Amino acid sequence: MSSEQTLSADVVIVGSGVAGSSIANELARAGISVIVLEAGPRVDRQHFVENFRNLENKPSYQGPFPAVPWARHPPNQMTPNEYLHTTGPDAEAYQQVYLRMMGGTTWHWAGCAWRYLPSDFELRSRYGQGRDWALKYDDLEPFYYQAEVMMGVCGPDPAKEDLGSPRKQPYPMDALPISYAAQQFRKLISEKTPLRVVHEPQARNTRPYDNRPTCEGHNNCMPICPIGAMYNGSYSVYHAEAAGAQFVPNAVVYKIERDDANKRVTAVHYFDPDKGSHRVTGKYFVIAAHCIETAKLLLVSADDKSPDGVANSSGHVGRNMMDHTGVQVTFISGDEALWPGRGPLETNVIDNFRDGDWRSERGAYLVHMVDDNQVDLATSLAISKGYVGKELEEQIRYLASHTVRLFSHNEGLADPENRLTLSKTYKDILGIPHPEVYYKLPEYTVKSCDHTRGLFKDLIGLMHGRDEQWTPGYFPQDHPAGSTIMGVDPKDSVVDGECRTHDHENLFIASSSVFSSVGTGNITLTVAALALRVADTLKKELTHA
Amino acid sequence: MPDTVRKVFVSLLVAGTVLAGVPSRSKAADTPDAALIERGGYLATAADCVACHTKPGGKPFAGGLKIATPMGDIVSTNITPDPEHGIGAYTEEDFEKSVRHGIRKDGSYLYPAMPYVSYSGLTDGDVKALYAWFMHAVKPVAETPPQTSLSFPASVRTAMAGWNMLANHNQAETGDSASFDKMRRGRYLANALEHCGTCHTPRNFILSEKQDQYLGGGPLDGWYAPNITSSKTSGIGDWSEDDLVRYLQTGAVSGRSQAAGPMAEAVEHSTSHLTDADLHAIAAYILQVSPYDEDTAHKPRDSFGEATVQPDIRRGDLTRIDDVTAFKGGAVYGANCAACHGDDGAGARNKYVPSLFANSVVGASRPDNLIMTVLYGVHRTVGKTEAFMPGFDGGSDVQRLSDGEVADVVNYVMAQYGSGNPHVTADQVKTFHKK
Amino acid sequence: MAAERYSFPVDVHHSSPNGMRMNRMLRMSRRDVLLAGMGAAVVSVTAHAAEPPEASAPGVADAAQFLTLSLRLTDRETLSPAIGNALYARIVQAVPERKEQISRLHALLQQKHFESAQALAKAAEQADPVFKNVIHDIMTGWYRGVAAQKVVVYRSALMFDITKDAVYPKTYATGGPFYWTSKPPEVPLPTGEPGLSPSKFVVEPT
Repeated sequence: MSSEQTLSADVVIVGSGVAGSSIANELARAGISVIVLEAGPRVDRQHFVENFRNLENKPSYQGPFPAVPWARHPPNQMTPNEYLHTTGPDAEAYQQVYLRMMGGTTWHWAGCAWRYLPSDFELRSRYGQGRDWALKYDDLEPFYYQAEVMMGVCGPDPAKEDLGSPRKQPYPMDALPISYAAQQFRKLISEKTPLRVVHEPQARNTRPYDNRPTCEGHNNCMPICPIGAMYNGSYSVYHAEAAGAQFVPNAVVYKIERDDANKRVTAVHYFDPDKGSHRVTGKYFVIAAHCIETAKLLLVSADDKSPDGVANSSGHVGRNMMDHTGVQVTFISGDEALWPGRGPLETNVIDNFRDGDWRSERGAYLVHMVDDNQVDLATSLAISKGYVGKELEEQIRYLASHTVRLFSHNEGLADPENRLTLSKTYKDILGIPHPEVYYKLPEYTVKSCDHTRGLFKDLIGLMHGRDEQWTPGYFPQDHPAGSTIMGVDPKDSVVDGECRTHDHENLFIASSSVFSSVGTGNITLTVAALALRVADTLKKELTHA
Repeated sequence: MPDTVRKVFVSLLVAGTVLAGVPSRSKAADTPDAALIERGGYLATAADCVACHTKPGGKPFAGGLKIATPMGDIVSTNITPDPEHGIGAYTEEDFEKSVRHGIRKDGSYLYPAMPYVSYSGLTDGDVKALYAWFMHAVKPVAETPPQTSLSFPASVRTAMAGWNMLANHNQAETGDSASFDKMRRGRYLANALEHCGTCHTPRNFILSEKQDQYLGGGPLDGWYAPNITSSKTSGIGDWSEDDLVRYLQTGAVSGRSQAAGPMAEAVEHSTSHLTDADLHAIAAYILQVSPYDEDTAHKPRDSFGEATVQPDIRRGDLTRIDDVTAFKGGAVYGANCAACHGDDGAGARNKYVPSLFANSVVGASRPDNLIMTVLYGVHRTVGKTEAFMPGFDGGSDVQRLSDGEVADVVNYVMAQYGSGNPHVTADQVKTFHKK
Repeated sequence: MAAERYSFPVDVHHSSPNGMRMNRMLRMSRRDVLLAGMGAAVVSVTAHAAEPPEASAPGVADAAQFLTLSLRLTDRETLSPAIGNALYARIVQAVPERKEQISRLHALLQQKHFESAQALAKAAEQADPVFKNVIHDIMTGWYRGVAAQKVVVYRSALMFDITKDAVYPKTYATGGPFYWTSKPPEVPLPTGEPGLSPSKFVVEPT
């Protein structure tokens, strides 16, 4: 440990992703002093665009983001990989990836901006499964809208297409016009099945918004939108900085210091890349460091006062790990050419299985028809089949225009046995242990996946598909949740309905780690809404103090 | 080339200084007929009063637009009919004096930022209509924008009287402007209302428009209002009347030019709202303006370049996320521009994104407008069509380029698709940053 | 498959981005085996992979042979010599044996008139099974723009040239907003035969 120098602010935030930066922006605009500590570096878009083009394995959305050694992130979804170690019967189903750098993981999301359904917050009381949240949909509704305005979300008119999450305001932008492939899929589903395909709400510009351009369909939302038409956390970083928030990059927080009574957090300590240690004091602290890293930090901060980790009197820090474990199939359609890959990646969803009485038995799910350019895959496949010359070119055109990919988000369930711990084997260059997760898929999720497979088989039949290839097993959707679970009872939960830790009155958590259930929609909008609600609470407390 | 002198001209473009006088009961008592008011509204649009007399996000005509000039900030005034804060106390005569002669109600002279040199050409009837519209159709706003405070000698308003005597004035037109024939109507609209020359005519040493170089091009606030005379080498002598009408209507003519900066605003607020007949009249008039041939230009600025594609041969190496080393030359283009303007510079197939060849900004002999476009982007809304390109300056959310990267990409684009490498340096780019 | 490659060093204290890239080359795992096919032959990765292409700049004559072969194997009249040179340099630098193999394949091409890529490929695989890998390298180079696991060209890869009436290479979409709502071209079911025996197809992990 080297020189101790002290920074100080009203609010100290750990993590600069969508949660941390949006809180910083709100507070700074209210005149509150804010310091945001980000483990990773400052970055810029143009290098990621070129990295993507230079990347041989194009589908690897973690690929264009080679990590810095002092703040590593998983290099890919392999088991094992070099950073996030998973164990247990379904270890491979929990191989999440995320990004540690300024702006966070939304640098490579697909912009899907779902609100949760009211029932998602009441899973236990409605269906006798999992847990209830310590808040209701209506508590979050105004913050959902605030998050939609902040990100710039486009979506359908509720009068024409009700997505099941009641709205007081229309979407900030009109729904995205969908691709020809999606139009045909939509038509097929509505004509031949009792199901429906809806417009996916997306944090993507359908008109110039917030000084960023309209989406031009580069089909590269993941890993990197080349033009900034899709929201990512870096915009909130820029806005917060313009409002006076201070961001410190390459600041790896490793300790959360509390007062003698262990009731209030007094400081956080971080390492710079050379392992120089720095102390940052404040009145309030927010950990907004992604589900995995947030739990890791609380556990790493264990000391005599809190031998099991900070905010962990319940023993639930790191437990209840959830995800939208998915099923995926790729096949060759026997119908007309669809040419997937024209427009944004994920724009349309079958939403019929997001909720229903059957949720007392099996998990909910939603289905994406992925609008992903298949030319590279088609070329590799056609070459492997032995084609050359003219015949190769014909094959590429046919496969690229007829490949269909479906995947699902299947609902996980809070189970304390699914648990994140600190690796006893692996440490990073700063001496901080790597995270390790034990994972066994809940039966609830397995049943949901079985149901999805049945649906996919029917859909393949409807599209006269052939050469169907199922991605073996279950795969992670990078929507980890639950590691600092929310609840009313401090004995079995980590935070309360305000996302304040039960144990420490000035410590908040803004992350999917507080989710009590994981629903089916992508988690980011709910993370942002919860974060903005934390900002609201902090503003009230700091301006009244 | 960027030069500092151009900053002076800013003052001439932007802000009027019509100040409210002592409130009195002189406001026209009778409401004029609706046709007169409507006509006044159309004329106010054609004169683009709103452009200067409204600040970004502010209430229409309440003033407050502030532009930094070497002499200090010029702040446009409230010209709503509020008697305290606006021009509600102006009689029609007061109004006429300020609009046509640059003399405000209290007798002092306006800064020539207010283009009264142009408006002096208005007919009596049209002044009357404008007055009627401002008094009866504009919503009064009770706000006083900050005072203009310029440095000496411009701070002395009486100095403006001398300027006023020296400056060229339009002769007031007579008769009913609605009944003018096409060419006379065009000249009237271009000069007395749209005041094209305010930006497009270069200034002499006392900042008066050089009439022998009428519409020959002039700098303003970083941008350069180009030569729009009928010169075949330096102007728009190769444009058809329909081309120019389309440009004024939409701000974009594919293969020729796209409006950005102040011209985008002029199209948004003014020319896109004019009738087809008036636009044809303006276009016909402009296209017959005597050619002014510049020494530096040898062919029309929209005639340079073609689609060019080089294979993107790569080393296939990736950089670590903390490597934000500046890109060089064409690599800046590849990483930031090619996504929309294409690897070949051809833009979007539907022309939503313009081509970089056959593009007046890239083919111009001066890099000013390209530098400004890269730094601040394009935002132009005409009807339901919103043209947008993000800026890449230090406030960009999309990508913040260094001055060196901006210089490199400007040099690359002009060398590849335009009039040749202008050898812009990072230091020169720095002079274009908004204060 | 490829479980034997699972021995990459997990030295967590000294892993560099380069190390990560090397590790990625040695990847493969169960769930990434998608569209798994028939037979088995995956281009091997060698330890030379990380060296810069300049290390073994090829002779002009060799590159010309490579281009002649490429024209036949793509059934095309013209190809970019600049891309050809870059692909050849990368291929022989990563797998030095390819130099001699390409030369021999070129000699085979000179022996008689092959009227199609397919005819040459069939004859080549019959003459020497290693030619199948050589031809895979050439096809992968021109169509995917990739040689020995490295991107040599991206947007200039032929796979984008032959699909440009329908889709754009990712990050180069120039149709303007919402171009994607229009109907793309129909594509008939191909009837042509492959020139080579099939191989196992491996999709890399994400």
